[in-house]
Amino acid sequence: MNTTTRRKRGARLRRFIPLYIMMLPGLAYLFINNYLPMFGLSIAFKDINYAKGIWASDWVGLKNFEYLFKTTDAYIITRNTLLYNAVFIVLGLLIAIAIAILLNEIRGKMARGFYQSVILLPYLISIILVSYLVYAMLSVDAGFINKTILPMLGLDPISWYLEPKYWPYILTIVHIWKGAGYSCIIFLAAILSIDREYYEAAELDGASKWMQIRKITFPMITPIITMLTLLGIGRIFYSDFGLFYQVPMNSGALYETTNVIDTYVFRGLMQLGDIGMSAAAGFYQSLVGFILVLVSNYIVRRFDKDNALF
Amino acid sequence: MKNIMRGATLLMLCFVLILSACGKGGNGSGSEPGGSANPGNQQDGKVEEITVAFPLVSTSQQDLQLVEDEINKISEEKIKVRVKFLPINAGEWAQRMNLIFSGGETLDLTFVSGLMYSNMVAKGQLIELDELLDAHGEGIKQAFDEKYLNATKINGKIYSVPTVRDLAGSYGLTMRKDMVDKYNIDIDAIQTLDDVENLFKTIKANEPHVVPLVPGGVGQSFRENHVFVDPLGDFMGVLPDYDNDLKIVNMYEMPEYKAFIDRIRKWYLEGYILPDAATNKTTTFELIKSGKAFSYMALQKPGFAAQESKASGTQMVTKELLAPVATTSNVTNALWGIPVNSKHQEKAMQFLNLMYSDADIVNLFDWGIEGKHYVKEKGEADHIISYPAGQDATTIGYNMLGWMFGNQFLSYVMKTDDPDIWKKTAEFNSTSRPSKALGFVFDASAVKTEVAAVSNVVTQYKLPLETGSVDPDKLLPEFIAKLKSAGMDKIIAEKQKQLDEWAKNNSVQ
Amino acid sequence: MTKEYRGWRWSAHIILGLFALACILPFVLLFTSSVTDSKVIVTEGYTFFPSSLSFAAYDYLWQNSKMIFNAYGITILTTVVGTTASLLMTSMLAYPLSRKDMPGGMVLAFIVFFTLLFNGGLVPTYMVYTQLFDIKNTLLAQIVPWLLMNGFNVLLMRAFFMNSVPKPVLESASIDGAGEFTIYYKIVLQLSLPIMATIGLFQALAYWNDWNNGLVFVTDAGLFNLQNVLNRIMSDIEFLSSNASMGSGSIIAQLPSETFRMAIAVIGILPILIAYPFFQKFFVKGLTIGAVKG
Repeated sequence: MNTTTRRKRGARLRRFIPLYIMMLPGLAYLFINNYLPMFGLSIAFKDINYAKGIWASDWVGLKNFEYLFKTTDAYIITRNTLLYNAVFIVLGLLIAIAIAILLNEIRGKMARGFYQSVILLPYLISIILVSYLVYAMLSVDAGFINKTILPMLGLDPISWYLEPKYWPYILTIVHIWKGAGYSCIIFLAAILSIDREYYEAAELDGASKWMQIRKITFPMITPIITMLTLLGIGRIFYSDFGLFYQVPMNSGALYETTNVIDTYVFRGLMQLGDIGMSAAAGFYQSLVGFILVLVSNYIVRRFDKDNALF
Repeated sequence: MKNIMRGATLLMLCFVLILSACGKGGNGSGSEPGGSANPGNQQDGKVEEITVAFPLVSTSQQDLQLVEDEINKISEEKIKVRVKFLPINAGEWAQRMNLIFSGGETLDLTFVSGLMYSNMVAKGQLIELDELLDAHGEGIKQAFDEKYLNATKINGKIYSVPTVRDLAGSYGLTMRKDMVDKYNIDIDAIQTLDDVENLFKTIKANEPHVVPLVPGGVGQSFRENHVFVDPLGDFMGVLPDYDNDLKIVNMYEMPEYKAFIDRIRKWYLEGYILPDAATNKTTTFELIKSGKAFSYMALQKPGFAAQESKASGTQMVTKELLAPVATTSNVTNALWGIPVNSKHQEKAMQFLNLMYSDADIVNLFDWGIEGKHYVKEKGEADHIISYPAGQDATTIGYNMLGWMFGNQFLSYVMKTDDPDIWKKTAEFNSTSRPSKALGFVFDASAVKTEVAAVSNVVTQYKLPLETGSVDPDKLLPEFIAKLKSAGMDKIIAEKQKQLDEWAKNNSVQ
Repeated sequence: MTKEYRGWRWSAHIILGLFALACILPFVLLFTSSVTDSKVIVTEGYTFFPSSLSFAAYDYLWQNSKMIFNAYGITILTTVVGTTASLLMTSMLAYPLSRKDMPGGMVLAFIVFFTLLFNGGLVPTYMVYTQLFDIKNTLLAQIVPWLLMNGFNVLLMRAFFMNSVPKPVLESASIDGAGEFTIYYKIVLQLSLPIMATIGLFQALAYWNDWNNGLVFVTDAGLFNLQNVLNRIMSDIEFLSSNASMGSGSIIAQLPSETFRMAIAVIGILPILIAYPFFQKFFVKGLTIGAVKG
């Protein structure tokens, strides 16, 4: 590197100093809150003994990871986790976008305010209560569906909590119902940020509503969709513990379709309470997600550099 | 990509730096400047402060400080110790303990839940108490039959002391008295599950809206409240008939187990059992109180009927179905131990000794302050008490679980309860049959992988099978096969090895 | 207005109306359950039209009203302070990251992203905040750990900044001699009100609903927020009901267990519902200003 380029580079950097300063509080917080505690990742490879302390505890290699794979459930929990997440990402995004677009069509201030607040309601109810509400619907003898809906259709009552085949649908519905309002607001903000002039021009050209959505709205919110998808892929081995544990009421008969990595780990360690093994599970989930994101981010970069995360 | 590599290197660098920095912090955690030492009170230099942790159930904590002050008056005078309570909400207990131990925080004496005991010892969280007991634990030793104190030994050492309470357990049926009376049921004639079945038949026929049998607790199966083997801790490998020449078997393969779940299934199909017993979230007491349920199975002890009547607001009667047996699990249900972080181990033991020998301390813990939280009944025996006029459990501002604090036999008795309750409990303890494996504590650390896998299989099948919700003929073989592939045999082999070792060391034949 | 547009509007109303109903009805059920006699719930299940009412759960909560009002205070304080601080920090990190010309931007974005996947876990975080920074039992404990800023919001905001702040605007401002801070404050923030309102809402909800910090870092009951107090009452009830055989007799008799959970949810959510229309005004207004200027 010769002196002129170095000087040029120095000048260029100097121009950005205010930007770097601006980032300091945020980066400092990430360092303290996220990076400092990362020494805890080492716990995944240790057999913790409190008499020795975390630091002096013995290294055990990959022993803490064994229970995740040495089980006949390994296939089921991995399959369930992946499939649910895939469905949640795709369907979750589609429905949130649809609601946001519809919401944007509502002109009345009152009506819009009303819709906007009520779709957030499910997000505010804790998952334990959601499990009670679902139970109010599905309970064998007192549930709304068994007592009112099925008789109306002339059908026999169903033991919902013993029949695994219904649960992929139930869990998906609950997940969408609970989360749609949240992600819909992101897309609403994105749509509202689009310059009105585009639409006005399109209307003058006589473009149909559908055309406008396809040619203006979608392209404009693609970066947000890409980002949310990438982040979703990063957490594809994680799942919403409450949804899979509380909502099916931890019913053993449903494990075939409700057991995911997080619930497996929880049930396996309830008795042992081993922080090494739970750290190992987290590490494994993160690592897989991490690799998948790197790959998908690389693919996104090939297509459109601006939409990539990094 | 190059940038990312650079970022990753930077991260690694930070990481190493932090590791070394925190390493120091971690090692030096013994000198943690915890804000618990609280000068300001008159301190004559010799009085040392110890921190005492226990789970707290009642939300009404407001008078806890008053009780702490009263206890300190006694303990400062007698053993120069001032205690600082660290009450932990019961639901948060496991997590808080984890943080306290990992963070190396000050704690000198703690309640130990039986479920966590062997784990805590395996992870080095508790210190050996034998020498301290010899030096300062005279009162503790006197409070026990030796077999019970020895039941807490792990590798020949005592790491925790059980509280003095019912140390054995019998299993039985708890029923609504009004219905028992109404249908003239002779409860003494109920001996077997066949008799119970007939009883349910009567109830079902006459009271179509009442469910004859509901679970003994939320998330509990019927087998858990009708235990016919020594669970040896976790039910993964059990001792049939509390003896079996110390030969461990898989409970789920026992013919008795099959017979029991077959019967439960039959009851379920007959409509004797709550239909959603496997997923029910309504407490047993609510089910009884609302008139929906007739009976439940539960672990019993002397005075149980009175206790349950109070809890459900309904008169209940009980009938024992399985005679009392003392197993390690019963004894180690509630314990006290000294954490490895303690810097006042001797003082902690001295205070623990008071909890087993000083009636004033025990009653302060259990009932609060005389005159304020309870009054002695005039014209009754000295240990009979009641709430002050116009007060009851809801308004009193101090509620504790008596079995949690040291020697419950020194505790006063509410006038609504049996005045001889402690005499009866002591008799219950001394006459109950000890399991042959009483005193054996299993250490699962060698088979953690298998325990995690088996735990999952057990939670999957246990409740559905043991509440009758599914067909045992179809699911039991599947269950057993899955247990095998999850490594049940390896756990049993390890347990057998430890049990043999234990038997040799304790010369149990 | 064309026929097609009217059709869109009507279908929007119908679909959103149905979805809104699906969101409201459970909440109504929640409310009616909380005032149902718990005996009725046990025998008849949850119902919209209970045969007998009872306010026992609210009575019990009222007994603890002093604690609860104090907790409301803590919750409101931490929500306001936390959300404000969080918006500032998040946007100040997101804006530079959105500048494609800034050297090192990609590496820094990666550093932010990395925190979304890997974390040290509860125990190490606890050790950092109690041993390195002694924030145990302070108000900061209810604000700082985990909640103050998260990588997801930073990346989301960054994507918005990239999308909705036109580069020419920044360049012309820069040529006019405006400093980076001025540009950030006068242009970027003004152009991005929709996302500011969105992230602000997310953060406020996160603070309002948080119980974890109080559970981990606070043992002094005076610093408990609303969720901590309510959870504690609830966990007492649950512990007692799952340990029925443990001799807790006289204590459990005083707790209204079945309807209680619902009552707790109602008093946790109600303030948000009351506050929401005011917030909404700001939210909608923010959105339209953003839209007009953009």
